Amino acid sequence: MKIWSDQETLSREEIQKLQFERLSKTLTHVYENVPHYQNKFKAAGIKPKDIRCLEDLRLLPFTTKEDLRETYPFGLFAKPKNEIVRYHASSGTTGKPTVVGYTKNDMKVWTELIARIVTMGGVTNADTAQISFGFGLFTGAFGLQQGLEEVGAGVIPMSSGNTQKQIMIMQDFQTTALIATPSYALHLAEAAAEMGIDPRKDLFLKYGLFGGEGSTEEMRAKLNEAWGIFSTENYGMSELIGPGVSGECRALKGMHICEDHFIAEIIDPETLEVLPAGSTGELVITPITKEALPLIRYRTKDITRIDYTPCDCGRTSARMAKITGRTDDMLIIGGVNVFPSQIEGVLLGIKGIGSNYQIRVLKKGYLDRIEIDVEISDHNLLDSVTFLDRLYKEIETKLHTILGIHAGIHLVDPKSLARSEGKAKRVIDLRSENL
Amino acid sequence: MLINQLSVFIENKKGHLSKITKVLKDASVDIRAISVFDSAEFGILRMVVDKPDEGVAALKNAGHVVKQSFVLAVEPSDKVGSFHDVFNVLFENDLNIEYVYSFVMPNNTGAPLIILKVDDQEKAIDVLTKSGIIVIPKEEIYNPS
Repeated sequence: MKIWSDQETLSREEIQKLQFERLSKTLTHVYENVPHYQNKFKAAGIKPKDIRCLEDLRLLPFTTKEDLRETYPFGLFAKPKNEIVRYHASSGTTGKPTVVGYTKNDMKVWTELIARIVTMGGVTNADTAQISFGFGLFTGAFGLQQGLEEVGAGVIPMSSGNTQKQIMIMQDFQTTALIATPSYALHLAEAAAEMGIDPRKDLFLKYGLFGGEGSTEEMRAKLNEAWGIFSTENYGMSELIGPGVSGECRALKGMHICEDHFIAEIIDPETLEVLPAGSTGELVITPITKEALPLIRYRTKDITRIDYTPCDCGRTSARMAKITGRTDDMLIIGGVNVFPSQIEGVLLGIKGIGSNYQIRVLKKGYLDRIEIDVEISDHNLLDSVTFLDRLYKEIETKLHTILGIHAGIHLVDPKSLARSEGKAKRVIDLRSENL
Repeated sequence: MLINQLSVFIENKKGHLSKITKVLKDASVDIRAISVFDSAEFGILRMVVDKPDEGVAALKNAGHVVKQSFVLAVEPSDKVGSFHDVFNVLFENDLNIEYVYSFVMPNNTGAPLIILKVDDQEKAIDVLTKSGIIVIPKEEIYNPS
């Protein structure tokens, strides 16, 4: 199996040496160009030159989504606007999105990293790759497009939705690699079957490169079975670069972290202490080659563990296990990040409804669906069904604007939702029950 | 002449209507007329009952959203075209009907009675009465002889 870059087979000593050089440069870069970081470092009583070895990384303060929110939109950018060639954004914890930017060099790095990951998944220039992520502000679709083109694969920028056409193109263009969220890929397989197409016989798919949301081994088995493919998972987040942080090779022994560009740590989310190698905890990532948005010790809130032993595939890069959970309340709905606080913010701004609500996340077929129970409180709404209808549409539209996805709304009687003592159980995730 | 009507929010859920009627039954409130206005996701139950204040209190207590409002009840004569007479009078006087439902009283022998919600109720009473259409006083509905 091909390995895209010789950087993926460096010895541990070589990787660490490279990481330290790049970290030092990055620290100087953020200290000099990002006032927010200069203040954070000063508050922690630390200067870039105090970091004398890789282990000293733990002396530095963390970065969280909150830092990005406080400095919205460009406050953490370390390069002036005339050097930014691309913007992307993902949903933030409140109304404003998290904005990220790329210089020309960042784009080159990003492209290289995706090229590595699609190569790990088996894709070559002989392949035709259908990208069924939504093209737009989210990083997924564009990131994969660049990397796939870099390895020479033929890209079909299909975007998400329009399921029947997806299948038609897949058949007519003889697509061999599918790029999607695992849940959408399962939905597509089901839709193909409904159209009388047997994905295993009538289509040409060989590989599935899945990401944008976590998945399980059970889901992988289902995907492989339904499509007759070999599927791999990859990981990333827009704050760090987008997809391209790590990906599975064909040995399927965890996702190889592109360690020449990212330093990974595992911390205890409570004590914030770095945990010994092999422990399970929260993944913290420091990108060390980024120009536009270099974040220091970014808390991903994703829970995983890291294996540093060399892989059967020949790569020496550390491998992170599938994400097993989150340390915050973020939900991933069909690849889109949703925070309950965003939903609350919308609901509290609407007249006629109470402050209590309940979010249910479930699977409709293979697709994630979010449903929200909202208590109505204003009896004047009962003068006309039109008033209720208008309220219903207002909630639906405002949520769609903020979340970027459709939520099913149920208006319910006041006080009919369970009140719990202390912390309200606002979110019920039923997805694992009917996988 | 106006009659108290109860409007209750109903969730689009199995058993929700019977939950409401149970509350009224337990409070010994008698339902005279009932109708449901719904969309795909929810509905409004409208009722005329013999003891509106008790009905509202019981429903509120049970956690329902209830609103009291006022409607008209008219008794069309039992002949072809009598409903048309009612609606036509309202139309000719530029009155807009928001909703209509009909019901039968125990002592009623002719056509069903109709409940009307009109944008200007007072004016409606006036024009209907002048046209010889019987508008029923609320006492007759609450305590039929």
